Amino acid sequence: MIDMIEKEDPVISEEEAAQYDRQIRLWGLDAQKRLRGSRVLLAGVGGLGAEVAKNLILAGVKGLTLLDHEQVSEDSCRAQFLVPVTAQGQNRAQASLERAQNLNPMVEVHADPGRIEDKPDDFFLQFDAVCLTGCSRDLMVRVDQLCSKHNIKVFCGDVHGYYGYMFCNLGPEHNYVEEKPKVVKPPADSNDGPEAKKAKIDPNETTMVKKTTSFCTLKEALEVDWTSEKAKAGLKRTPVDYFLLHVLLKFHTDKGRDPDPKSFPEDSQLLRQIRDDVLEALALSADLLNDDFISYCFSEMSPVCAVVGGVLGQEVVKD
Amino acid sequence: MVQLVGSLRRELAESLSTCKVLVVGAGGIGCELLKNLVLTGFKNIEVIDLDTIDVSNLNRQFLFQKKHVGKSKAQVAKESALQFCPSANITAYHDSIMNPDYNVEFFRKFMLVMNALDNRAARNHVNRMCLAADIPLIESGTAGYLGQVTVIKKGMTECYECQPKPTQKTFPGCTIRNTPSEPIHCIVWAKYLFNQLFGEEDADQEVSPDTADPEAAWNPEDTAARATASEKDGDIKRVSTKEWARSTGYDSVKLFNKLFKDDIMYLLTMDKLWKKRKAPIPLDWQQLENMRPQEESPASGLKDQQVLGVWGYCQLFQHSVETLRLQLQEKGEGSELVWDKDDPPAMDFVTAAANLRMHIFSMNMKSRFDVKSMAGNIIPAIATTNAVIAGLIVLEGLKILSGELESCRTIFLNKCPNLRKKLLVPCILDPPSANCYVCASKPEVTVKLNVQKTTVLSLQDRILKERFGMVAPDVQIEDGKGTILISSEEGETEGKVLLGFLSILQGIFLQEQEKHSDEELERDVEFEVVGEAPDKAPPPQNNQEEVNSITNGNKDSAQPSTSSKGEHHCSFCVHKQKHEELLGSIVEKVPTPLASGAIVASVKHSLQTFFVA
Repeated sequence: MIDMIEKEDPVISEEEAAQYDRQIRLWGLDAQKRLRGSRVLLAGVGGLGAEVAKNLILAGVKGLTLLDHEQVSEDSCRAQFLVPVTAQGQNRAQASLERAQNLNPMVEVHADPGRIEDKPDDFFLQFDAVCLTGCSRDLMVRVDQLCSKHNIKVFCGDVHGYYGYMFCNLGPEHNYVEEKPKVVKPPADSNDGPEAKKAKIDPNETTMVKKTTSFCTLKEALEVDWTSEKAKAGLKRTPVDYFLLHVLLKFHTDKGRDPDPKSFPEDSQLLRQIRDDVLEALALSADLLNDDFISYCFSEMSPVCAVVGGVLGQEVVKD
Repeated sequence: MVQLVGSLRRELAESLSTCKVLVVGAGGIGCELLKNLVLTGFKNIEVIDLDTIDVSNLNRQFLFQKKHVGKSKAQVAKESALQFCPSANITAYHDSIMNPDYNVEFFRKFMLVMNALDNRAARNHVNRMCLAADIPLIESGTAGYLGQVTVIKKGMTECYECQPKPTQKTFPGCTIRNTPSEPIHCIVWAKYLFNQLFGEEDADQEVSPDTADPEAAWNPEDTAARATASEKDGDIKRVSTKEWARSTGYDSVKLFNKLFKDDIMYLLTMDKLWKKRKAPIPLDWQQLENMRPQEESPASGLKDQQVLGVWGYCQLFQHSVETLRLQLQEKGEGSELVWDKDDPPAMDFVTAAANLRMHIFSMNMKSRFDVKSMAGNIIPAIATTNAVIAGLIVLEGLKILSGELESCRTIFLNKCPNLRKKLLVPCILDPPSANCYVCASKPEVTVKLNVQKTTVLSLQDRILKERFGMVAPDVQIEDGKGTILISSEEGETEGKVLLGFLSILQGIFLQEQEKHSDEELERDVEFEVVGEAPDKAPPPQNNQEEVNSITNGNKDSAQPSTSSKGEHHCSFCVHKQKHEELLGSIVEKVPTPLASGAIVASVKHSLQTFFVA
């Protein structure tokens, strides 16, 4: 998909050059052109989704489709800044459309009120990158597997209270370019006196080095077997939040929703139970994830969304 | 039983809705910050910014749209934020925070102040105001992919000025005038030239060959001889560049030949300079015109990013000189132009002049795009870095409002995950520096100067205002009579008097009181600022325990082993160094780095991103 677009070589207009000036100076004109040619699907326009949408639209992608079947609730207005306060009862994607489009008229923004679960496989194939927020585990795994097969990049993320995570899968064989400082060897006949003949690293000169790396699928990431020797060795360096993620994903799968502040007592209880179950199933000690997390993982915290959304958005852009 | 309002504990939610906060700056960080504050539940926000909206802001300052270009940033930011949170109470000031109206009393209204600035002078000022008012300050900055957030609290943490900041890089006069070796030297030269021809002439911005260049002399005595010779040489040296240009009617060809042929030929006579360097090659207008190339086909990509040929820059030079001449004429007799990177002929002029000089000195020429970056000190900027930093600012703010100052941290945002796979790196905050002349309980600094050469006015302007960032100093001599030397009241200061004439001997103390702060400074007045430790980068060290404490996300493990001398044991030192090198080498109009803390420790509400691969 990307190859086709590059052949078109989209021209950056003077207007775009003026608006994107500060970012072109950071990631270069070629990167801006590639952004200009890419279409992204964003599922879920809650707090995190809105942040990612903003970041991608400002960056200047060709098209962004906002996919969300949820309705605007009273909480939505507090959680994100794209939905007008008067839009209660409307579809969240459609309600966000106007403000999202206004962020950057040069991007084609679409709203799709459908359910992501109902979308057929080939729906996803029209995009270069897919970003899933607030989705269930099974859905994410399914989409991830589908997209990797077709060389579509996948990004997932979610925010629970003070906690958030993101995941990305750029395919089993991802080619990229890294900027490395150029190593300059001094000329053999240097007559500058007693200067040491070290290879100099000139900070202003860089070369682009081609590299390839491989990403694992979400399924593999989540289904790590912690009883294996290799996994046990890596356990110490794994943030506990990884396990918290498992707990929250299971909560979502079981209850069909996220922990709700309005049902704090029951949900806390349930979270504790799930924590115990999850860790037991993974053959790990229940002490690994203590109770503290419980009161901090409700709802979406705006600043946390901003941070995760920023990082997630940047990952999508970088690609 | 814990009660939640959304994600927050009820008590915290309530205090957010009542407290007043101040946001200084409504640009990249400011827009994101304002959004985060209202969405998190802050109800009373005041925002101040002196700037208006420019089209280059729109890629990240998302509260602004194209239709807002030219309007006040603070005002539009307020209006946009109210769109998605009509119940918020926002006050906008289109003003400079350094305006004396915003005094200590003003600052005391707030529970929290958050900076979203892009220059050091304002940061210094807000730092002092917050210290004087004893209000916690959250300081931050971004540049490209990098960013930083820290908390400043009087008596508890370092203030913004506890650690000396790297000063702006300047180049020696002879490098600019005689022996440029890098494009930036030529660009600086071109900017000086602009001022000499069209703007305010500055004795420190000479563009003609420097005959007193010590490198040019074969013998040391030569240098002195040349210097006196050039002073005595009544002819060309006496006439200012501007006068000379005017006498030719700003004839671009005559200007061209003087700057790029005659002056270069003069440089060539200083043959010692060219013993080990490639000698410059003078240009001749007529020759170039005769040799000019055919029409070239337009290349793809941005017009600004193309590098023209020599003749192209000759034409650009001619064209811009003509336009600027007209501008000057229109402004009237005795007027001056001010260089502005966004003024096309001014930018064209610098692009052309710098490139011609680069070509003369055998450097590869640069596109207008690149010249603009360097000449205009442009910092590349994107939305996401600001979004992350603004999010972190609010998170730190919540800790402060919850009374959890000890859990506040300095946080660095890296370009890529470090060795420990961390993108965000928290560091414990350092305690205040004992000899900080801004926040120490008895602030004192020693300045060395020559009383025979320094006037009262330069004491006030160059030393007190410029070097120490004072806004309106009052100076008294501690001679028992309380003689006033400098008064912040207009017209009372005898500016031109040499300090020596006032019988100020070395060793007499001057007692000074800064108008806007309650601190008293005693000075032993001399010229250089004595006793400042150079900004040394400490060696990186690895400490396994601390690293584990981060990954476990548990704030209680691993006591930080802060050294009282401020030595740095952070295992992420390398990144701190890189941050400071990068951010420190960028000149003004820039987010500058902050002093960072010692040990990396875990953060209670840690936000972890992990790459599972």
